[in-house]
Amino acid sequence: MSHLFPSDAWASAYQNAVNQNPLYKSAGKDWTHGKVALVVKADPSIDIEQDMAVLLDVNAGSCNAASYQTGEQARADAAFAVEGPYDNWKQLIVENLDPIKALMQGRFKLTKGHLPTLIRYVESSKQLLASAQNVATEFRR
Amino acid sequence: MGMLDYTARVEIDASAEENGLALMVGGLILQNLQEHPSKRDDFARLRGRVAIVAEDAGVAMTLAFQGNMVTVSDGIVGVPAVTVRARSEDIVQLSLLELIPRVGLPNPLGAATREIFLKSQAGHVRVYGALLHIPTVLRLSRLLSVN
Repeated sequence: MSHLFPSDAWASAYQNAVNQNPLYKSAGKDWTHGKVALVVKADPSIDIEQDMAVLLDVNAGSCNAASYQTGEQARADAAFAVEGPYDNWKQLIVENLDPIKALMQGRFKLTKGHLPTLIRYVESSKQLLASAQNVATEFRR
Repeated sequence: MGMLDYTARVEIDASAEENGLALMVGGLILQNLQEHPSKRDDFARLRGRVAIVAEDAGVAMTLAFQGNMVTVSDGIVGVPAVTVRARSEDIVQLSLLELIPRVGLPNPLGAATREIFLKSQAGHVRVYGALLHIPTVLRLSRLLSVN
C-alpha cells in the first residue's frame, strides 16, 4: 500500500523504514543532537497551502517518532531543518539524489541547525534520507 | 551573511545567494570563527582568492580573503591563487580533516586525512596552486576543519 507524500501515514511508514535501515542504525548511533525537520515548501497547485514538514525524533540510530505537521511547528521543535520544494523532495525519494550534492546545488537549504555537527554526521544524514526510498510512496504529481 | 563579536566579516555576495556550496562554506567559516577563536588568526592572515569546484554538482564558488574579511561569490571570480576541484562528498570530507593539536597541521594518522590523501593521489581531489601557496592551503584547511 502506498502513502501520499507528505502525510501522517507517510511519516509513520518513513519511521518504520528508518528503523529497518541497518546502515542508518550504524551511521546514526552517535547522533544525540536533536530532531530533524524535512520541510516541503508550500505549493498550492498540489494542495500544500503552507510549508509542511515531517519531523523526525531521531536519537542514537533510532527514529523514536515521526510526525506530519506545519513547517512552522516543525522548525520550532527541530534542532535541524532542511527545506526544499516538492519536486526536489520527490526526486530525492525516487532517484536517491545525493543530499550533499543537492544541498550544494541549492536544491535544498539547511535553514536551522549547526552546520559543523551536520558535517560530522554526513553519512548518517545520507542514510536517514535514503531510507525514504523504501517507503511505498504516492506523489501528488 | 554575518558579523562576529570581533572585527571579522563573512559576506555572501548577492550572486551566491542560491549557491548551496557557497552558503555552506560561508556558514562553516562563520560558525568555526564563532566557536574556535584559535582559527581567527588564520582567518586574519588569509589573503587572496580560493576557488572551490564541486564537479559532480556543477557548482563553483570563490572565497576572496582580505584579512579578517571574506567575500563568498558564485562561480570562479578573478584569478584564484588556489583552486580545489573534487566531488561534493570529498569537499565535505575536507572539512573533516583531523589536525595535530597545537601544531595545526593535518594529522596523517586521522581517517579523514588519510582518505583525502589517497583520493588526492588518485586524482579525485585536486588542489591547483597548492605548492606555490602552501601557507594559504594550510590556513584554509584549519579554517574549514570542524575538528
